[in-house]
Amino acid sequence: MTLAIEMKGITKFFASAQVRANEGVDFSVESGEVHALVGENGAGKTTLMNILYGLIKPDSGEIFIDSQKVEINHPDDAIKHGIGMVHQHFKLVPSFTVAQNILLGMEPSQAGFLNQQNENKLVDELAKKFNLPVDPTARIWDLPVSMQQRVEILKVLQRNAKILVLDEPTAVLTPQEVNELITVIRGLSKQGYTIIFITHKLIEVMSVADRVSVMRGGRMMGTKRVSETSIPELARMMVGREVLLRVKKKEIQRGETVLEVRNISVADVNGLAAISRVSFQVHKGEIVAIAGVSGNGQTELVEAISGMIHLDGGEIVFKGKPINEASVGERRDLGMAHIPEDRMVVGLNLQTTLDENLIVSRYNHSEFSRYGFLLMKTIHEFAEKVVKAFSIAAARPGEGIAMLSGGNLQKVVVGRELSGNPSFIIANQPTRGLDVGSIEFVHKTLIEERDKGAGVLLVSVELDEVLALSDRILVLYRGKIRGELNTATATEEEVGILMAGGTLEDLKQYKEDNEEGEKREMKS
Amino acid sequence: MKDGRFRKLLDAILVPLLAVLSGLVLMGILILFLRKPLFESYAVLFANGFGCKEYGNCIFITALERATPIILTGLSAVVAFRSGMFSIGQEGQYLLGAAAAAWLGYAIHLPPILHASVIIIAAMLVGAGYGWIPGILKVKLGVNELLATIMLNSIAALVVEYLVQFPMRADTSAVAHSPVIDESAQLMSFLPGSKWGVGFVIAVIAVIVIYIYLWRTKPGYEQRMAGQSRKFALFGGIPSDNSAVRAMLISGALAGLAGAIEVMGVHRRITTGFSVGLGFDGLTSAILGQVHPFGVFIVAILFSGLKLGAQIGLQLRLNIPRELGGTIIGFIVLFVAAGKLYEESIVRAREWSARRRGSKLKGESP
Repeated sequence: MTLAIEMKGITKFFASAQVRANEGVDFSVESGEVHALVGENGAGKTTLMNILYGLIKPDSGEIFIDSQKVEINHPDDAIKHGIGMVHQHFKLVPSFTVAQNILLGMEPSQAGFLNQQNENKLVDELAKKFNLPVDPTARIWDLPVSMQQRVEILKVLQRNAKILVLDEPTAVLTPQEVNELITVIRGLSKQGYTIIFITHKLIEVMSVADRVSVMRGGRMMGTKRVSETSIPELARMMVGREVLLRVKKKEIQRGETVLEVRNISVADVNGLAAISRVSFQVHKGEIVAIAGVSGNGQTELVEAISGMIHLDGGEIVFKGKPINEASVGERRDLGMAHIPEDRMVVGLNLQTTLDENLIVSRYNHSEFSRYGFLLMKTIHEFAEKVVKAFSIAAARPGEGIAMLSGGNLQKVVVGRELSGNPSFIIANQPTRGLDVGSIEFVHKTLIEERDKGAGVLLVSVELDEVLALSDRILVLYRGKIRGELNTATATEEEVGILMAGGTLEDLKQYKEDNEEGEKREMKS
Repeated sequence: MKDGRFRKLLDAILVPLLAVLSGLVLMGILILFLRKPLFESYAVLFANGFGCKEYGNCIFITALERATPIILTGLSAVVAFRSGMFSIGQEGQYLLGAAAAAWLGYAIHLPPILHASVIIIAAMLVGAGYGWIPGILKVKLGVNELLATIMLNSIAALVVEYLVQFPMRADTSAVAHSPVIDESAQLMSFLPGSKWGVGFVIAVIAVIVIYIYLWRTKPGYEQRMAGQSRKFALFGGIPSDNSAVRAMLISGALAGLAGAIEVMGVHRRITTGFSVGLGFDGLTSAILGQVHPFGVFIVAILFSGLKLGAQIGLQLRLNIPRELGGTIIGFIVLFVAAGKLYEESIVRAREWSARRRGSKLKGESP
């Protein structure tokens, strides 16, 4: 096998952040393979790929493409050498059509005039060639995220890339879309394209990659054939210690009802029902999971319970008190904690210090303020306590948090929400975008709270997470509860069929049909 | 810890400092175009802006006096900006505060300290009331506060002009003005022949109070958090609508206070064309001063000194048009707006020095 890419001794030091992002990294990719590059947040994966793509200049090191030594000083050089990159945050013009985006900067023109139909035809042919159907005339802002990603991939292919770098392509996709993407990647690899796939989800590595390279703390920890390794081994290489991939939990001690929602309805921005007539209860000492594909009303449900938006119908009872009219602050004072799905914009204020982030839900209490003045010393001590208790390594009291990694930011959120001894915790996608080490931490902490007697409402689109953590599963589909399952007896298939809008009877029927089919086959 | 704090301070002032230097360099180029002596110009500018020859003949004192209203309108902008309200209504609030002070100065008669206190409080209330309008419009109806304050500035300017021309007019002299305010309503000055006095002390106190308010009190915390991220405030349970309205009340009160001090301490009455853009000077000093009370304090004095230096020094001594002072300030603001320019080179310089230090260390320990 020939090597498509070989990077030798890549070193990069960021003086502004005092970080050695890459240290003597050797990395090679065989041509035509799917090569996964994994590592925790901040391990140096993205830096390495940005160096390959000419966005960052390394302090030292050499790059070979098809065994030729090359200098890559600019993305133009990378493109010339057949390297294409699909960034984690798409770089598309939202108001342009698909065709305009794909051909941006290389539009075929006749005497300086553009021909829209010609462009559309060109893109259509491209899409057919790679079996990636798109509508060339659709505008980007009308497209779902997975479609936008497809446009990005086509854009790269149109520029004659032979080597595709995909930076965390699955972070923004639903499970179904992930499967689709995996099929696309497999197809491209069959056609001779080389694919580098950056991720920190090991399940995806196992299902899509031929080989996998693991990075930790700026160094390359090793490269393995996927067929010769396992998820626990990769996790250990990534984190540097044994990782519990499935946290153990004690027998459930269900207490009294802490939260009850009765027939609640919420309209979305367009006035359509995002949540309609949803009822359920959460008891003390249990974790209730809301499973479902994202966009089925989870956001509205969580915001309604936490008090961020108004109900359009129904009633919420918390600890026996109706709280429909209670403000966010009043609900929090009653013992409600909330880990939001968007920690960057909602859960934290990245423009201010750690201390001020940690007191946002309780600055009003007498422990942190008196006669209208903030008790700076107490707040500082509290910040030190939280940093210690939740081992937020990089965070320092009194200083900003904008430079912290995703995992550390989530620890700040979790630390704040759980340090007030809440009796009810809403955890909305608490591990989204986190690496295995941080996921383990969040899972362990939530189970600890449950064992201490708090009620937990876990909202997650990750089936594994739902099955690993919860005691009961409610499946949300198009704003309604599609069904309730006991986690102890539930199967992945059962949750899956409910998530897709089916019923358990459908599953039974489907299984019977299959069995009959098999029997028939056996007979004949 | 101490090192970090120093670094933070340096980060905060580096860009404005470089902007000021760039502005002064550009001024030199303009002076060369005018065929005037370069170094003498700088010397004259600084001597007449910030110099102090002897006690009692101190131009720097005049700079402090001129800076007083700018400090207060600057603080007004700081409170609004920090709370997420892009209000540029200082000009209008300042004018209405000044008109209220001028009227109460001759219309009511009270014993000395009481009279002045009543006027100051009344002017602050008027300013606060005029700030409340865009605040409540924003919160209840979502009216853009920038547009609302622009409109309200024009309205205030015209209303005050009418008041000075008609109901409050003292006599039929060519320049319309109100009667001189009572002595009991005037603010004392510290030096004979100077207008630098109690007003400046009030401004200094305001700087400290606003700093403490914003960073050490609960309502200040609410305002800053709601200003930086409304979603975060909503999520955390901070009443951000209240914070926004409160910010506009305080912002308006500070601008109204500026107007009162200008009437009571400097002009002793209100005249036609009373505003010379002090509200906008406050706005620019807030931006150049990193939206921080201490920054505003320094920048307001710097601006006043530059203007004075250009006015008395360059114009009278070297026959250079005094508008050059305003031009320099304009340049400085422009350079601050283009702050990214410096940030890039600062990062480069730091990386370069870190690498040099790194290679030196390697060299020492083979």
